[in-house]
Amino acid sequence: MNDTGIGRYNRGFALSLAITSLLSALLVVIKEENQDSVLAWMIAATGHHWVTHGVLVLVLYAVLGWILAQLQLGTRLTGNGLSAVISGSLVVSGLIIAGYFI
Amino acid sequence: MESIQSELILLAHPSFGVLAILTAVWVFAETINNQATSYGRLRLLSLAGTLLMWLSYLVGGYWYVVYYGADKALIKAGPWPFAHSFFMEVKEHLFFSLLLMSTYLPIAVFGLTAGRVGLKPVVLWVSAWIVVLGLAMEGAGAFISMGTKVALLATQSMGETP
Repeated sequence: MNDTGIGRYNRGFALSLAITSLLSALLVVIKEENQDSVLAWMIAATGHHWVTHGVLVLVLYAVLGWILAQLQLGTRLTGNGLSAVISGSLVVSGLIIAGYFI
Repeated sequence: MESIQSELILLAHPSFGVLAILTAVWVFAETINNQATSYGRLRLLSLAGTLLMWLSYLVGGYWYVVYYGADKALIKAGPWPFAHSFFMEVKEHLFFSLLLMSTYLPIAVFGLTAGRVGLKPVVLWVSAWIVVLGLAMEGAGAFISMGTKVALLATQSMGETP
């Protein structure tokens, strides 16, 4: 029995939040380091790289959350474990972004 | 007229943000209390916080895309170029994590108030992070405003028309 009192949609979207936050931070580095290709494509897609970045983040969050909920991954994660995953992801994301621009 | 519109939009962005932070503080406090009588308020507050954070994102994003270019050039040429190269760059990108957390909070709150007690630490941590990150965004915004101000002052002291 792996009922940690969380529910698959809550777990799926919490994990998606952690993963998407990290991928968003990595995309910052990738687009800044590849201005002629990645950044140029992001500007061409919507007219502004930040708008494209936002669309990608939101779509990824929604799709990944739904997929993770269906797959029911991380069923042993408790509320404290899930909180640690979210917090860890947020701290690492912040360090990647701030570290890159410092 | 366009300048007034730009300034009003610029003021609306942190105002919505502060209100979203306050709702997150309230959600945190109500979750610690964690009584059945709090559940209605918790649901309403978490939804209000999400709406306010999205308004902050949309209004701030519109201003950033449409109006920020002129300020950016001014800041980069002024005495505080780091107001853009560090504070704005970090703010505009880290905001996505804040937006995701604000979007997730009502999902967790509705789960908690439906009897999924394991979500209590998740609601507490996510609402706390919204407060911390939200305040960091407000602080970064203050640096960006000051970067524009000192750039304008430097331009004036050189006898130039901004």
